[in-house]
Amino acid sequence: MFAGAFVVWEIWAGAEESFLAPQASEVLARAWEMWPTRAFLTEVAGSLKQLAAGFVIGAAIGIAIGLVMGTSLAARRALDPLIELARATPPIAIVPALLLTLGFGDSMRIAVIAFGVCFPVLINTVEGVRSVSPEARDTASMLHVGRAERVFRIYLPAALPSIVAGLRVALSIGLVLVVISEFAGEGGGLGHYILDQQGQFAYPEMYAGILFLGLLGYGLNLLFRFAERRVLAWHYGAAGERAR
Amino acid sequence: MQRLLRLGKRVNVRGWLVVVLVALLAEVAIQLFELHDSVSPPSETLPALGEGISSGELLGALRTTLEAYLGGLALAIVVGVLFGVLIGSSRLLLDASFVVLEFLRPIPAVALIPLAFLFFGTGTEMRRYIVAYAAVWPILVNTLYGVRGSDRILHEVALASGVSRLGRLVRVTLPAALPSIATGIRVSASIGLLVAVTAEFFFGSAGIGAYMHRQQLAFQLPEMYAAVLLTALLGYTVNVALRLTERRVIHWSGEERFRWP
Repeated sequence: MFAGAFVVWEIWAGAEESFLAPQASEVLARAWEMWPTRAFLTEVAGSLKQLAAGFVIGAAIGIAIGLVMGTSLAARRALDPLIELARATPPIAIVPALLLTLGFGDSMRIAVIAFGVCFPVLINTVEGVRSVSPEARDTASMLHVGRAERVFRIYLPAALPSIVAGLRVALSIGLVLVVISEFAGEGGGLGHYILDQQGQFAYPEMYAGILFLGLLGYGLNLLFRFAERRVLAWHYGAAGERAR
Repeated sequence: MQRLLRLGKRVNVRGWLVVVLVALLAEVAIQLFELHDSVSPPSETLPALGEGISSGELLGALRTTLEAYLGGLALAIVVGVLFGVLIGSSRLLLDASFVVLEFLRPIPAVALIPLAFLFFGTGTEMRRYIVAYAAVWPILVNTLYGVRGSDRILHEVALASGVSRLGRLVRVTLPAALPSIATGIRVSASIGLLVAVTAEFFFGSAGIGAYMHRQQLAFQLPEMYAAVLLTALLGYTVNVALRLTERRVIHWSGEERFRWP
């Protein structure tokens, strides 16, 4: 099917004969020449580094606030409208503000990514913490388990599957934001590369860049699923046990 | 009177007070530390917002944005649900399309803006397609899951009772998938808005995003932040509207999912 899609593209582009739509074979050939070059790998590494930094910072903030909001009703009610407003703000809307405060460099880009990543993680953390069974909660308070210990031994593990689901949503949003922040800022990166090639009318290269971006997203997703299976093995095991 | 009281109870007063408090803190911090060069204080942003709305400039931009955004979202809902149901009801189609879907899905829609720009120019049409591309994936995937997760026994009962294929689709599959589809639409709505404003910001000549960009270049900070605020309010409104509609339409799927906060 995948190969089929390429064949359709090839034939369609061949019939169209437009310089806007290069044939699949040409794009693939260009992509093949491109990927081992040092310059290109640097761009990819640059994108990945931003993504990793923004993702970790955003996820940490999201989990921290999510834990507070999940465990305390007062905090939840007090912060809800603020969070809802901030969450509804498309990250691009804060780019101009960040450009002015942080400049065009890396910190601006990382901040944009962290902002976008934070909210899905936060929402899912709250949901996850709230789904802790009342029995576990009551047992803990009956046994006088301290607050910190309760958070780390009960709430966090119980919320983990939900948090991981949020992280996965955040990962794809993060990839979008990498591209956006590269459009806006200076320095390299895959998004920057695509825009550059379009500006130079180098369309096969532009398509190849998009192709690599798709591959990158696909690869990251696979990696994530692998890590998820590792980290949540106990959860799937228990869920499977119950199903049986 | 009683209605007003009830409304007062439903509105989260304390939460909105926190929002006001944060705005006040921002105001004080900006005045104290003289951050006027990079952030405009709320006392200047709000008048700029009012002025932009009363002069019609911001409202015009809002309308342009909404045209592309809602058009694209509608297109995405139609295509996503259609293909989701189609692919979801056939094992063969699911297996065949899986790799293509998994490959196309992670391509960030914003990366396709330069491409769409070549084909459709900078107008509303280009943005509509970009929004549709970005918004279609959550809807498609959620529809898929919803359709596949629908109760097998219900299907078999309907089949045994002689309900036609179309009847089963409308009366068994779709109602079962609807909560999941609604979730997909809600996710898509915020992604679509992000993409619409982004496309305007970098490539558009009209709309809130373009307005924001213009004000940034002109260093008109209050006007720029007014546009940011308007975008946030727009996103918030869309979210609330969707949640209310969902509660109305999908009344059968338990109250559990609506208990937030």
